[in-house]
Amino acid sequence: MQYTLLITGSPYQSKACHTALRFIRAALNKYPDSIKGVFFYEDAVLIGNQTAQPPRDEVNLTKAWQDIAEQHKIPLYLCIAAAVRRGIINESESRRYELEQHTLAEYFQLEGLGTLVDLMNTTNKIIQFR
Amino acid sequence: MKHTLIHLNSSPYSSLACKEGLDFALVLATFEQPVDLCLSGAALAILTDNQNPTAEQGKNLHKLLDGLEFYDIENIFIEKHHSWLSNQPTWQGIQLLNEAEWQTMFSQYQQVFRF
Repeated sequence: MQYTLLITGSPYQSKACHTALRFIRAALNKYPDSIKGVFFYEDAVLIGNQTAQPPRDEVNLTKAWQDIAEQHKIPLYLCIAAAVRRGIINESESRRYELEQHTLAEYFQLEGLGTLVDLMNTTNKIIQFR
Repeated sequence: MKHTLIHLNSSPYSSLACKEGLDFALVLATFEQPVDLCLSGAALAILTDNQNPTAEQGKNLHKLLDGLEFYDIENIFIEKHHSWLSNQPTWQGIQLLNEAEWQTMFSQYQQVFRF
């Protein structure tokens, strides 16, 4: 069985990103191919902000998700509309909006909600963390 | 093809959750995925007629309701006991469910997302 994770809770106002991280570690530990992708929507897209600097004595959630993506080749998608309105911008969006900087962290990618629909139709189950 | 229920439970004016839930429903419908909506809690405020929010207060999501049928989103459920709704002009496209129907509704979908 393959899962897709939909995370909608803010990394700062909820434990959604933390709980999903624990779930994905447990799932991958037991079934290495059990996760097809992770889609971040609503305030959860703030996880992909490369300029956020958490205090050194706190968990770096963005780094933790990047480690998962790197080690297990799991794609991390951010909803492009939700991300851009919150200032999470990749290079091409930065050019489109004529900005001088981009803020999207490595291993995250901006995708439309159509990608989530595709994940819904190609995995057995979607689990929402909010 | 999976049948999806989008459950809106957040105020349309206190956060973007309601708007982003509706956006997701519209995208699902655009991709010809069957999708229904249900509303509870503070999200019921979206049904009230004659809303005129300022830009600072938020988008007038009530205006989106009339367009849902063009996306083939035709089932919008609420629980029947919200009697305060009958005391003021509200959008007429909703279907009222009693408590038992409301509770069984959630198990009739392969996917339920909450916003």
